[in-house]
Formats: sequence, C-alpha cells, structure tokens
Amino acid sequence: MAITATINVKDQDLLGSLQTFCTAILTQEDIRAILVPQRQPMKSMVMPTLVTAPEQLDGIDPLSPAFPMNGAKVLAKLTRKPSGGKIAALLRPCEIRAFIELVKLKQARTEDVVLIGIDCLGALRNTDYFRFAGNDAAAATQRFYEGMLAGKETALDGVELASACKSCEHSIPDAADIALGLRGVDIGTGILAQAQSPAGEALLAQLNLPAAEVPKAREDALARLLEARTASRDQMFAETAAATDSVEKLSNYMANCVNCYNCRVACPVCYCKECVFVTDVFNHDPAQYLRWAQRKGAIKMPTDTVFYHLTRLTHMSTACVGCGQCSNACPNDIPVMELFRLVGQRTQEAFAYEAGKSVDESPPMSVFKEDEFQEVVGL
Amino acid sequence: MQTKIGKALVIGGGIGGIRSALDLAEFGYGVTLIERTPHIGGILSQLDYQFPTNRCGMCKMLPLVERDASSQFCLRKGLFHENIDIRLSTELASVEGEPGQFKVTLRQEKNPVNPELCIGCGKCVEVCPVDTADAFNAGLSTRKAIYLPVPHNIPNTYRIDTGVCTQCGACQDACPTGAIQLLDEGRITFNILVVDDELIVRDSLKEWLEVEGGFQVSMAESGPEALEHIKTHGCQLMLLDIKMPGMDGVEVLQKAKELFPDLPVVMMTAYATVETAVEAMKIGALDYLIKPFDPDALIPKVIQIYQNLSTPVGPELEVGAIVMSGGTSYYNPAEGKDTYGYGSLPDVVTSIEFERLLSGTGPSGGKLVRPSDGRPITRIAWLQCIGSRDTQSDADFCSTICCMYAIKEAMVARERAARDGAQLDTSIYYMDMRTFGKSFQRYRDRSEASGVAFKRGRVHSVVPDPSGEDLQLRWVATDGTVATDHADLVVLSVGQRPAEGAQALTDMLGIERNPWGFVQTEAFSLTRTARTGIVASGAFAGLKDISESVIQASAAALAASQTIHGAGGSIGLKDCPKTIYDDVARQLPRILVAICTCNNAVTKGLDQAALVHRLQNDPAVKQVHFLDHTCTAEGWQQLEDLIKKHRPNRVLIGACLPYVYTRKLKQLGRDVALDPRLMEVVDIRSASLQPEASDNPTAAGIERILTMGIARLRHASPNPVPTVPVFQRALVVGGGIAGMTAALSIADHGFEVDLIEQSDQLGGNLHWLHHLIDGQEIEPLLTETRDRVNHHPQIDVHLTTRIVAAFGQAGTFYSTIEDGDGQARQLTHGAAILATGGSEAATTAYGFGNSDRIITQKMLEAQLHDGAIDPKALKTVVMIQCVDSREEPRNYCSRVCCPTTLKHALALKNANPDLRIVVFYRDMMATGFMETYFTQARKAGVTFIPYTLDGKPEVAVGATGDQRLMVTAHEPFLDRPVEISADRVVLATGIVPSLPQDLVQAYGVDQDEDAFFQEAESKWRPVDALKEGVFACGICHSPRNIGESIATAEAAAERALRIIASERVASGSIIAGVHESLCALCERCIEACPYDARMLDPDGERIVVNPVMCQGCGACAAVCPNDAAYVEGFDADQVMEVIDAALN
Repeated sequence: MAITATINVKDQDLLGSLQTFCTAILTQEDIRAILVPQRQPMKSMVMPTLVTAPEQLDGIDPLSPAFPMNGAKVLAKLTRKPSGGKIAALLRPCEIRAFIELVKLKQARTEDVVLIGIDCLGALRNTDYFRFAGNDAAAATQRFYEGMLAGKETALDGVELASACKSCEHSIPDAADIALGLRGVDIGTGILAQAQSPAGEALLAQLNLPAAEVPKAREDALARLLEARTASRDQMFAETAAATDSVEKLSNYMANCVNCYNCRVACPVCYCKECVFVTDVFNHDPAQYLRWAQRKGAIKMPTDTVFYHLTRLTHMSTACVGCGQCSNACPNDIPVMELFRLVGQRTQEAFAYEAGKSVDESPPMSVFKEDEFQEVVGL
Repeated sequence: MQTKIGKALVIGGGIGGIRSALDLAEFGYGVTLIERTPHIGGILSQLDYQFPTNRCGMCKMLPLVERDASSQFCLRKGLFHENIDIRLSTELASVEGEPGQFKVTLRQEKNPVNPELCIGCGKCVEVCPVDTADAFNAGLSTRKAIYLPVPHNIPNTYRIDTGVCTQCGACQDACPTGAIQLLDEGRITFNILVVDDELIVRDSLKEWLEVEGGFQVSMAESGPEALEHIKTHGCQLMLLDIKMPGMDGVEVLQKAKELFPDLPVVMMTAYATVETAVEAMKIGALDYLIKPFDPDALIPKVIQIYQNLSTPVGPELEVGAIVMSGGTSYYNPAEGKDTYGYGSLPDVVTSIEFERLLSGTGPSGGKLVRPSDGRPITRIAWLQCIGSRDTQSDADFCSTICCMYAIKEAMVARERAARDGAQLDTSIYYMDMRTFGKSFQRYRDRSEASGVAFKRGRVHSVVPDPSGEDLQLRWVATDGTVATDHADLVVLSVGQRPAEGAQALTDMLGIERNPWGFVQTEAFSLTRTARTGIVASGAFAGLKDISESVIQASAAALAASQTIHGAGGSIGLKDCPKTIYDDVARQLPRILVAICTCNNAVTKGLDQAALVHRLQNDPAVKQVHFLDHTCTAEGWQQLEDLIKKHRPNRVLIGACLPYVYTRKLKQLGRDVALDPRLMEVVDIRSASLQPEASDNPTAAGIERILTMGIARLRHASPNPVPTVPVFQRALVVGGGIAGMTAALSIADHGFEVDLIEQSDQLGGNLHWLHHLIDGQEIEPLLTETRDRVNHHPQIDVHLTTRIVAAFGQAGTFYSTIEDGDGQARQLTHGAAILATGGSEAATTAYGFGNSDRIITQKMLEAQLHDGAIDPKALKTVVMIQCVDSREEPRNYCSRVCCPTTLKHALALKNANPDLRIVVFYRDMMATGFMETYFTQARKAGVTFIPYTLDGKPEVAVGATGDQRLMVTAHEPFLDRPVEISADRVVLATGIVPSLPQDLVQAYGVDQDEDAFFQEAESKWRPVDALKEGVFACGICHSPRNIGESIATAEAAAERALRIIASERVASGSIIAGVHESLCALCERCIEACPYDARMLDPDGERIVVNPVMCQGCGACAAVCPNDAAYVEGFDADQVMEVIDAALN
C-alpha cells in the first residue's frame, strides 16, 4: 500500500520544512548520509552536497533556480560500488532520470540509495542565475518559487527559464522512491510526500508523517502544465528541425563549436572514461590535415566538430533526459540541448524507449530483436 | 594450422561434402574435395531461403576456431581452406588399394577458358551467338554457350558449355586477356571413322567434322569395310549407322568390340530405331545420335565426346578414406505420363523451378510473375508427393524434404507478396504433412496462422481454365467430395532420386545400393558401407534434409577419420617449417605499391606518372611499380624480386580477384619473410570498369581503391594470433547408445574420455527395445557396444555418477562429479558432449491408467516380447497416434512413434492375420524408406483412420465384467461416427527429453522450449551449442531412432575432436579485445556478444575476451561508444582513414 503523507509547512517556509524533512531522514539509523543541493558559503551558487551531520543542513536549497550541474553523475560516483551504508539523495526529476540511465549502464547502483524527488519548478541558465540571484541566494529562491507556483513563468526579473525547462514534460519525479509534491498542493500548510517504491515506503513509514491525500487540484494543475510544456516543446522541435534539416544547415548550427567538449563533460549520461574524441583516434596524422585541405582547397579548423556532435547523438540520444546541461555548458551558445532533444525524441520513439523511466527497461542497444526495422535492414 | 599426415578424398562439393571436408580439415587431415560441376554448393547454390529462418545461413558452417585457415565469407560464394584442395569439374577415375591406403586417380574436365587468366569481365557473353537453357535457373531462362555456372562464385570465371558451343570464335576475339583457347591441337590427329551406307551422310559428316570441328575423318560404307579399316588403320572414335544392308550396326559394334574392347563407338540412328540404339549402349556403345543431323548440334556433341575421351587422367593420390557425398537428384515430372501438365503448361513448375522464381538471381529477378505471360501471381497451389510415395513412379518411399520446403516456399512467397503489398493465396494439397523434426510442427502452425491453406486430398488433374485466365485443379478431399480450385501457378513438390552418376560411382567403388538405388549402409549406421574406409555423407545415402545431411556429413567424417587414424594418419604432423617473419612492428610504414596493368587493359589511358606522384605524396608510400600480369608466374616473380630488392614492410598489390591471392600471399610471405597480413591485394580491375562522371574515370577509381588499401596497410599491425591451451580429453554425459558411441568415437582416436552415467548400467533405452522394424536384433548392438566401452583403455566409465557443477570454456572445462557414495571429484576436459537421452512420455489421455488394457507402445513392445500378449487371443487392437503430441504444450513430432506403430501392427498381423488393427492418426510420419512399411501395413489390412485435433477419438472402459474398451470416433471417409470394440488400446505418447536444466546451465548452453538441447543452428550447426566446446547427441538433442541417434553421436564426437585434436587451439587474427584504460565497465559488450565470449573478470575491474569463442563479429565494438571494445584489424582510426579515402 503506497503511503501518501504531508510535510508540515510553517510560516510559508518551504525551505525550512524541507530542512526538517531532510534532518528527519538523516537521523534514521539506516541512512548514513544525504545528498542535497546546498548554498555554498560566501557564494550564491547551489551545489550537490553530501551531508552526514544534521546540523549542516541549514544551507539546503532544493528549490533554487540554480542548476550548475546534473547531480546524477555525482550520485553515480557515490553508488557505483557498495559503500557500506545507505544514502538518500534529493534530486530534480531530470537528475533522477539520468541516474536511472547510469544504473542501466552499470555506472551506478540503486541498492544503497533512496531517491527523493521534488516537483521541479525549473532552472535558469548559469549566466542568468547569477544575474537573478545577486548576492542573496536565499531571497532569490523564495522569489523564484513563489513566482513559479503563482504561474508567472515568464516574468522573472527579465530572465527566462532555461530552454530545456520550458519544454520539459517530466517536471514530476515519477521515478523517485519518494516524490515531494508542490504543484496543485496547498503549500501554505504542507508539502505532499508520496512513496513510489518499496524502498520509499519503508523510509516514509519510518518518518511517521501525518497521512494525507493527493489534492484533487493537483491532477488538473499537472495536466495544464504538461499541455503548456508539450506545446512549447513541439514548437522548439519544429524550429530546430527547420534549422538543421540539411548538412549545410547543421554545419551552420554547429559553426561556433571549438571542440571544448564541455557539453560532453556536462552531460550526465555521457559515461565514457575518456571520450573517443580525445583519444588518438582523432589525433590525426599531420599529413591527413594536408590531404583534407588539398582535396577542397581549404578546411576549417578545428576539424571534426559536426562529426563530434553527430557521434554523441549516435551514442547518447537514446539516453538523453533533456536536462539541458549541454547548452548550459556551451561557451559559445550553441543550442545543443534543442538538437539532442529533437533527435532523442525520435530515436527513443523508434525503439519504444523512454530514457530514465525505469531501471527495468533495457537500453535499446542492449537488446537484440531479430525482426525489428525490417524496412531499414531489408530482411 | 597444424596438418597431420593423413589424407581423405571427399567426392561431391554440396553441403554434405563441404561439412565432411571441413570437419576432416579442421581435425588436421589434408582433404581433396572433388566436384563434378564447376562450382561448389550443390543444390544449395540454387536455394536462397531455408526454414525455419526463411533465410540462408550456410556461412555458419565455417570454422569457429583456427579461423585464419579458412575463408570467412559467404560460403555459397566459395570456400578456401588451408587443408582442403578443391578441384572442380573433376570426377573420380579409378580407385585401388585398401582402407587407409587407397590410391585414387581423378579426371578433370578441360575447358577452353583458362581460369587463371579469366577476369570475369563478361565481354565474351556479349558476343556469343548461342542461346541455351540455363540449368542454374532450372531452365526457366536462357544463357549463352559461354557463361557463369552460378552468378555468385568467388572467383567467378566463365566457362564454355562445349555441348552447345559452335566454335565460332567470337569470344576468343573479344577476350581482353587471351583466356579463351577454342582450337584444340589434339583434334587434328583425332581420327573419326564414319560408317554409313548413304554417301550423302558420309560426305556431309566428313565435311562438318573436318572443316568446323577440326578433326581427321575417314569413311566406310559398310560394316566389313569399317572392320577392315580399324584393323589396318585404327581409329579413335567410330560413328556407326544402325540400319545398313548386310551387316547391321549392332553386329558391327559387337565385332568391333571384340577386336578393340576400348574403342569408343557412337551409334547413328533414325528416330524409329532409337530403341535399338539404346540396346546397343548396353553392349558397349558410348552414346547415340539421331538423324537427321543438325550440324549445330552434332559438332558440339562430337567435340564433347572427344573432350571426355581425351581428358587426361590426373595424378594418382593416396588417401586414407573416401567420403561419398554425391547428394541426390530430383524427380523430373516430365518422365511421368503427363504429370499434371508439366512440360506443356508453362505455369506448372517444379519446386526447384519455383525456388528460382523466388530468387533475386532468378529469371524474374525475384518477382512473383507467371512464367507463361509475366503477369503477377495471385494464387499458388503446391502439389505434394510428386515422385514420392508413389509406386507407379517406382518410389515406395517418402522423400522427407518436400512437406517442409513446400511450407517454406509458401511462407517466403507470402512474405514476398506482403512486402510488395500484393495479395497471395497459397494452398498445399497433401496426403500427410510430415512435420517430423523437432521444430517443424510449430513452423507449420505458424504458416497456417499466417494464411497458408492446407488441403488434404489428391489432385486429380490440372488443366487450363476455359477462360484461359489461369489453371483449374480438380481434387478429391478426404470425405470424397470433388472440388475445383483455381491457381495461376502450380508447384509440383518433386521428391528425391539417387544422384546422377551415383550408379557409376558406387559400381566403381564396389558399394551396394538399396532397392531404390541409394547407397546401402550397414545396420544401425547411416554412413558406413560394407567397404571400410568408404563412407556415405550428406544425402547420398538417401532422403535427408539439410540438417540431417549435415549431421550425417560430420558422422561420415568421423567414420573416415577412424579409418585414417587406424592407418596411422593422425600420428605424425606434416613437415611444415615454421616461418619467422621480420619484426616490423616498431618501424614506420614503408609501403611498396605494385599495380597490375593487366596487359594495359586496366591502365589504358592512365597517366601513370601523375598517379605515382599523387600516391607518393603520402610519406608512407616508398615505391610504386607497374607490372604486366601479377596473376602469371612470371609477374609474381617480378613482384617477389621487387620486394626482395626494396625490403618494404607493407605491400599493396592493385590487381583483380583478391580472394585468389590468399594462398599466394601466404607463400610470398614465407619467401620474403614478411607477414602476409602486411600485404594486401585490392581489386582495381572492377574499379576500372565503373563508369564515372570525371574526365578520367579509370584514374579516379583506381586511385581511390589504392589509397583505401594504403590507409588499411598503414595501420595494419600483425599482432600474434591468440591461442588457448586445450585439455585433450573429452567428457560424455549419458551412457545410452548415443553417449557410448560418442565416447568410443573419440577414444578410437587415442584421446581419453570420461563417460558419466547416472544409473548403474550402460545402455539406456536399448534395454527395452528388442528389434527394428526390418527385424534387426538390438541386443547384439547393446552387448557389443557396451563391451567395447568397458574394455576400451581410453574410456573411463563412471556409473551411478552425476555432474553436480561445471564451468569453463572451449579447451578447458572443469566438471565436478559425484558418485553413488557422495564422493565428489573434479574432471578436466577440453570438450563436453551431452547425451542424457529421454524416455517415453507419460500420459493420462484416453483413459490411460483406468484399465490395464490401455497401454503405451513401449508397454506393447515389452508385452509382445515377454508373451504377456498373445496376438492370437486378440480380435481388435486400436492404436492412437500423437497422444499429447503435436499440440501445445508438447507441440513437436516424436518421429519414432509412427514407425513403432507400424512395426507392432505388422508384428501383430504377422502373428494373427485375422486380427483387426485400427490406427487413428493425424499424419503418418513414415518418412524416408519407412514408407514401404506403411504400404505393407495397408496391404496387410491394417485400417488407418485420420483424426483432427478437434475430433479426437474417445476411449471408454466397459462397465461389464469383461471391461471391453469402446473407441468412438468420426470416420471422415464415411463422414459418420464409428464405434470400435477393442481388446487393447495402444497409445503412442512420444519422447520427452531427460536433459536437466541445471546441467545445461552448468555448461552455459540452452534448452529449447520443449527442454531438448538448443542447437546453435538447426541446419548449419546441428549438434553444436552456441557456446563452442559443448555438443549434444541422441534423444536429448531431438527425437530420433537408433541409427539417427548414432549419427548424431558420431557427429558430436567429430565436432569435439576438432577442438581436442591439438595441444593449443588458435582463434582467428580478426578478434575482439579491450582497451582497459578506456573501458568504463558498462558491460554492454557482454550483452551484445552472441557467442558468450566476453565476461566480467571475477575481480569486477575488467572485461575479458575468450579468444577462441570470439568470432570477430564486432557487435561489441559497435555498441562500445569509445572504442574500448575493438576488433583487431578494424581499428577506428584505420577504418576512418579508409572511409575517408573511399569518399575522396
């Protein structure tokens, strides 16, 4: 029997309530640590932080619009082998989904972790966030969630939600063990807490929170949100498709790329120890550059930029969860996320696969079906 | 690879011959494979699709270990193996000697086209004026007199059909390489004597044969004159008229033969005396010619006779054993009396012709169109048992293959139509659908679900519909109703016949034939003949499908190998000096490029200096040379001299037909001390034929091919081929006839075998079986086999013992066994054979258990044997077939039940002719030669009543004192219910395997859904597990009779022997590896590997590859995103550079 409970909120202080909630978790005997977004001392940035001492949870800030990195990679580092204890991790839905992909890629394990997700209100690009937050991160967070929950998505002091978030259809943490609900919930009195797995049920039961029901308004609120997000996404797909539907246009799209590979470092599901593009495979013979130049009379340097993105699309688009960290990391403002989401949508559809949905669904390239894609393989 | 001194001759290059040859070659013997046609592949070269995959898959027969010894491409295209010498267009001329030391001579047909020089350009075909029926397309299309025997051979060289060639010489003039030599100098001195009383015949023959044929011709106008002529002058060929005044032709023939027994004589006859000519052939005439003569037909015929006579007999070979694998031929409906209009109605075709219609290389390019008018086919009818199960066509046997291929053809045709968006009706008209293999019934069910209609009954006639639109089939269903169906194509499912030449070959070898003309084998053996060392492989002994042919081929290889081994053939290794190549691994590439100009045919108009300049822009290219003919010995010597002079560390040869050079490169490598993997031949010849849109098409094409080769070579690194150690011992699980046979087969080769049996005695099911249907006693087989096993010094028998755990891979397995006292010990072995057997299935159907008069066939066997049943005391016995079988969940045919039922029915009838026997059956599976017993049983008065799944008979036990059994059923011929009062009801419950799941899992192999052993591939690797090193045989593999079980055992033993034959076994050079520094341990490569060759090291920190199990398929490299998984010889930078060069 799934448990639905409420986390009491006093004085409209959502962060305070979440801190209490996390403290309660951390004081459970079987939880050794909790990974939560925390404000960094002397800085406005919020970073995933591994906390073992409950008293160090006072900088907790899961509702901040700061999203400097996808925490899935961090959590994978903590869980890829048994660590001798269980941890809880409070993550955005796209972080949980990326984590699930990493589990399937054997880069992480679910055995020693309880995933706690929270309705994601969205995030800002790093550059926008610094502008938005100024020197007071705590105040910025409050301004942000109040605005978002009031439905004022477009009026955030002149900044906009990151493009990935505007077109995100997965802002509810469906794959978390425990999901914390804000949308369609009376947050003046409490935050909704739902156990979504046996591990989640066990932990939530230990916390002895007052039972609750899912408010009727929530379903409606989520439906409206999904509708708006889907419309936004489809428009983004249409624009991206139009901008990339030929090799020439694609080359233009990627023209600013300088092979810094920041996008692949930022990508939570790009899991290779070392990307093939930084190995000797792409450390071409000097004579090769001359041959290329000779063939066309001129070649742009660095080479292999479009090739790099196409390769990454080939390798990772079926695992793409659309978190947008690639675009966030690009120093030259290439809309990488838009292209990945467009292609990922189609490749995942082709294999009837949805990245990050469940650890039980095998990644497409790990499954062999003799009779699929007959129109492609011609058998 | 290692080569042993033993040698074998394999006759026939079809699928069976290939399998036998490969098995023997992989064990290390030298094999000479001869094939009478100009190509290997046999009937399968014409068949594109096989069930159950409805695809091909023949390449799966290629070696899995020591792969570098063999070609690794489409096996239908050709085969190269270090230990196999393939000789095409070659027949056996004579055999002498004893088993182990046969002396054989071969005769290879000469052809005017020199394969060394033919580059396959096809210019000859463009100019050839002769059109003739294309045998490859079963006569559905035409070809020229100069032609490619099959479209897909490698190398594919043209040949001339001397039987139809008019010697016009056009091809010789068109050939750019001078490969065709039509004029044969020998003809000028070949004297032909024309004997005819009519001057005009003599004169015209003389003129034709002298002027156009180039022969020397003498003439005689009467018999006495002819005899006088040959006495004084002699002659090499006599053309002899039959009807002459005075001494007629037959008398002349007799007298001439008395004088010169070897004189070839060809009779000349008018149509009216053809029968006399046929008689003349019985007393020694070679052939006959029918008047009036057409020079265009006569001259080629005489030339062909000349060629056959003048073909020199090849060198004598010594071989230890001879494997006959001549295949079968197929019934020609034209031989029958107007078989359903075949021959007169173009839309009535044989199944072979239909296979060609389906084929992309067929007459319609794979489009389903009617042969008559090219319109799309919408309705196809298959007629079964054409030339099978038909005493009128001398075929009191079931051809065994036709039911399944008809279903397959229907399925493939439907898939084809569905692909093209067309509607297709498919109906199969049959008597019994003999789906007797373990997956066959489900395949039939699948076809039925997909829309194939099965119509039971006999088709009476096929005639054109009065409308002229299509064909009309009149047929009678089982209930006697006569119906008329329509079809626009009728396919006759033709049965098997002894192979062409089978009679001559068996006569030469002194091998007996069975009443139907197939090879007669020894009791309980499907391969051994009365002559030790001469064995039958494939379908040569009759009526086998692909899977059984392949099993039989391996079994034949085993039997041959035993003879060769017995004569000492596997003791010594052939003396091959080990080659030490120069170590160039740490040198910068220095490439020598040699370009064959093909007598300027390739490089015509090419600016050679410019090409050299551009190639030498690459710092790795040190020399570029042009040679006239690298394919000739002279050209090859020039190349060798260049290499010795310049000492390059890579050699690129631009020529044609790269596959031809495989062996030559190996030899060159030895001669110049350069690893052949650093030398490559690329095909610039084809490139020069491609039209391109640039100013100098040839130059651009050739340069691209060369730069691709340079790119490959630059990155080529000859890493040593990995090997794994082999524990040269085998383990056999199961001590029934299959397990004992497998153990003996291996032990007879001098290797030690552990034979594990869970019960306290060897013999398995042989203990309760008493005799075969043909009367053969089983007890002596059991006793003899058991005694041999028990006394064999190489066999360690472990009774009351079971396997409790096992692990390992090909070469080294560790099995833990536990004996009856609970004592455990570990055995090490290089290969494992599972022969755990099976048993009669238990049942509760038809009231079994309610009466001791309801028994199974096994119980009947026992009761007949011990006298518990007295046939004379019985009035009526009912037998029910397919009890719980051929329906889910046990949806397979057990294959032995119908023959067992026939055996018992005949035995009962024999003991009491008045006994009434009624057999309820669904399809009588009297396959192969078993059909004759089905015929006998019907003649003896046994009643056979068919039933269907929705109308099964019912058995009631009488309530009265005598407890008579009452069987009620629907009689379809009478179309009414029948009640039969029976003394006994005998149930055929079929076979269930005894293959424990934990045993299967311990060895890392699989079970099929019915718990039989899952073979790697039912046709191409029928006794192998997908995991190399594990094999299965006997009835844990599939239901089969004793002889068939023994064949699987011998096949499994042969497959195991390949592995344990050497102390170390090598993989191929193309093999996967792991760059550990790059590996993120995502394990996708493990999931992707189809051969279970990859695993996570027990420490969990690295992925390891078993080099022998890896087949270099590259699935791992494809799923690995960053090249941590790679395939040797296909490095990413290398492949990218090649692609880059290709796109240039």
